[in-house]
Amino acid sequence: MGFYILSYLCIAVFALATAYRIYRQFSLPVHVRWEIYPVQHEPAAKVAYGGSYMEEIDWWEKKREQSLLSELRYMVPEILFIRGLWKENRCLWLVSFPFHFGLYLMIATFVLLMVHAGFTLSGATVFAAGSALRTFLDGLIAIMGWMGLILGNIGSLGLLYKRWTDPELRNYSSPIDYFNILFILIFFLSAFVSSLSGNPLLEDARAYTLGLMTGGRSPAPYMPGQSAAGVVAIVSASLLAAYIPLTHMSHMFMKYFLYHNVKWDDAPNRPGSRIEAAILENLGLKPTWAAKHIGADGQKSWRDIASSAPKEEKK
Amino acid sequence: MNKPLNPSDLAKPSECLCHIEPGELAPLPPPYEDFNQTAIPPLKPDKTKNIEASLDDTVAIGIPKPASREEEEELVRRFLAGLQKLFEKENNWTFLQPLMLSMEHCAKCQTCSNACPVYEMSGKKDIHRPMFRAEVLRRIYNKYLKPGGKIAAKFTGDIDLNWTTIARLAELSYRCTLCRRCATVCPIGVDNALINHEIRKLFSQEMGIAPKEIHEKGTVQHLKVGSSTGMNPLAAKDSMEFIQEEMEEITGYKVEVPWDVEGADILLIHNAGEMLAWPENVGAFAIIFQAAGISWTMSSEAVGYDAVNYGLWYDDVQFSRVAVKHADIARRLKVKKILIGECGHAHKALTVIADRLLTGDLNVPRESAMVTLEEIVLKGRIKLDPRRNTFPVTLHDPCNIVRAMGIVEPQRRILRKIAPGFREMTPHGVANYCCGGGSGFAIMSGYNFAEWRNLVSSRKKFLQILEAFKDETQEVPKYVCAPCSNCKGAIRDIFGYYHAEERSRLYYGGLIELIVNAMADMKKPIINFGGEPSWTE
Repeated sequence: MGFYILSYLCIAVFALATAYRIYRQFSLPVHVRWEIYPVQHEPAAKVAYGGSYMEEIDWWEKKREQSLLSELRYMVPEILFIRGLWKENRCLWLVSFPFHFGLYLMIATFVLLMVHAGFTLSGATVFAAGSALRTFLDGLIAIMGWMGLILGNIGSLGLLYKRWTDPELRNYSSPIDYFNILFILIFFLSAFVSSLSGNPLLEDARAYTLGLMTGGRSPAPYMPGQSAAGVVAIVSASLLAAYIPLTHMSHMFMKYFLYHNVKWDDAPNRPGSRIEAAILENLGLKPTWAAKHIGADGQKSWRDIASSAPKEEKK
Repeated sequence: MNKPLNPSDLAKPSECLCHIEPGELAPLPPPYEDFNQTAIPPLKPDKTKNIEASLDDTVAIGIPKPASREEEEELVRRFLAGLQKLFEKENNWTFLQPLMLSMEHCAKCQTCSNACPVYEMSGKKDIHRPMFRAEVLRRIYNKYLKPGGKIAAKFTGDIDLNWTTIARLAELSYRCTLCRRCATVCPIGVDNALINHEIRKLFSQEMGIAPKEIHEKGTVQHLKVGSSTGMNPLAAKDSMEFIQEEMEEITGYKVEVPWDVEGADILLIHNAGEMLAWPENVGAFAIIFQAAGISWTMSSEAVGYDAVNYGLWYDDVQFSRVAVKHADIARRLKVKKILIGECGHAHKALTVIADRLLTGDLNVPRESAMVTLEEIVLKGRIKLDPRRNTFPVTLHDPCNIVRAMGIVEPQRRILRKIAPGFREMTPHGVANYCCGGGSGFAIMSGYNFAEWRNLVSSRKKFLQILEAFKDETQEVPKYVCAPCSNCKGAIRDIFGYYHAEERSRLYYGGLIELIVNAMADMKKPIINFGGEPSWTE
């Protein structure tokens, strides 16, 4: 039961930390625009060369055209295949892609395991032993799981090797950078060994997930401890889930904000808009910058300061 | 020889942390090989003995050394106070979210380094990696301002904080042109140039430290006198009168510049530096607008005749003051839109950044001159004869107009129509390389900074220009079209430094000069190549 409690705690940390990170993004003030082109939600013709709506005469009198399709055409290969790294840093991509894709496959496998557990618990006849759906799902879990484990092991070993041996990376790496990769490698390696040693269809993972969904009260819950590798896999996977959103590795989902709220945030401030209302609020904030020319005293607002002359500085 | 440097090395005292030896800079092709052994001229000890000059071979700011231990500690304390303010919405609502996202998610993959022209041209010196200075700030923030930071630093990356660290970091923030090429290639979306921008802000807004060319002689003078050139309103009008006369003399075309016309469609604001350094650019706008029958005006009010906003590079407050002045002048003139002349940073400052600063009736629409000129040229509002521009032309993409605003094609459509010899640089458009004069570098020349710029930060652009014209013979005059004042300044300086006019017959100018040069009504050309007219009838 201890393993299940650990997993629950880690999942709770993951959920809370992720929710906090996301909440924090929404609670930050509207910032000035800092987009960089190409902005991928422009219509395809403009995305092709990095153009913007500001290329149009009197653009503010026209309806702004945006294309979700253009954005998806960029984002899907970027998320799945790390297209940017392929283009700009091929050598690193060779290890980074299997690493990331391996992680994606493990997440997808976990989702499938939960679906599997859900069907099992529902007792639906369509999911009875030997049914086509069950056989299909069992097969899919095994294929995705194994692919994820193989790619993940190659990727994390490759990343570790590259960070250690490439002077360009090594010179800027701190102990935590090695620890992070090592942590993920431990999970991939232990899960791989555990699956290899008499668990080829990831039966234990299926049983553990079922146990997770029933608080350990499922008919045949998996009890880690049967193999050392199984213990390490369960513990490391649980801890990793809690750890990732606490670190820079949260870029897995925070990348959304880096792109949509900064790189591609080109929304113009139209009169009477929500953006204008947010700016008016910001202009009421009272800065305390200490340089003399600013003239801030904690009482004057940004509005007051922006419409004043700089204070004379002594020579 | 390249000695690897780690961000923590910034804190370790030495005479010169990063020296470039002759021959280490990226090589130039013939006929410029004689510059391949050129080194940055050493700083004179008597000029640098009282300032921080231990980062590398140049000095951009010249920060006085602290006189006592107490003063040093006070400066460190003020730095940390400023760093804290960067993460407070009251003080930094302008960039808080972008800063936090970039500070928290760098994977140190070094993809950005390969995109940086300064890093590449410097002979791949570590301090010029885009993530180097960002990592220094990150380590200081994590160690000195986060709870438990001093213990965590042993695992996450350590750095000592002392006067050397701070003063070198301030200097280092002026070795990046803020071209943001690094940000375009980051797979995660981290923007190390933004972090550099924030470092500059911390020093200016909290400690009053900034290069005098962009602060004292820049924004302060702009707001006080009316222009960063030092021209007051009377001098600006005088300059324009002189330009009108000169235009008539050069082109045989008489122009009138309308001043302070209430209710005009367009308020045209130039970089006032054009009036002094490139008067033909300002005159060319007047010629085209007059010929096309545009309703336009210039403002003779202080600040209103100078589009620059150096605050963009180092200080949000100074930035806001200048932007509000520009908008307020347009509001009172009741113009339909503000048109920004050929000045890249002014484009981005007033159109993009100030967009989330100007509210209500201050939010006067702003437009790029590239767009208006395209409308005039492509809609046939002036008669053009492209045979007058048969010389080879290439286009420099100012980062602030192209990468930061996505205004890429209007200028190209014009060139395709008026310049048969137009060819692209490689790469171009949003992947362009900075002129090397970005973020204030073009106007900074204290100590030996101009030499550093010519040898290091502008070097990539020079190589690109040479490459664009590699199939042309030496004797053919070649034109680099740079629709931005700062870029023109940087290109003028590299052409002068490398004797490019004599060796390759390289010339530069704006886009509007090319348009006027092709105008069928002109009796004489506006473009000359070393005194030789670009066309004869």
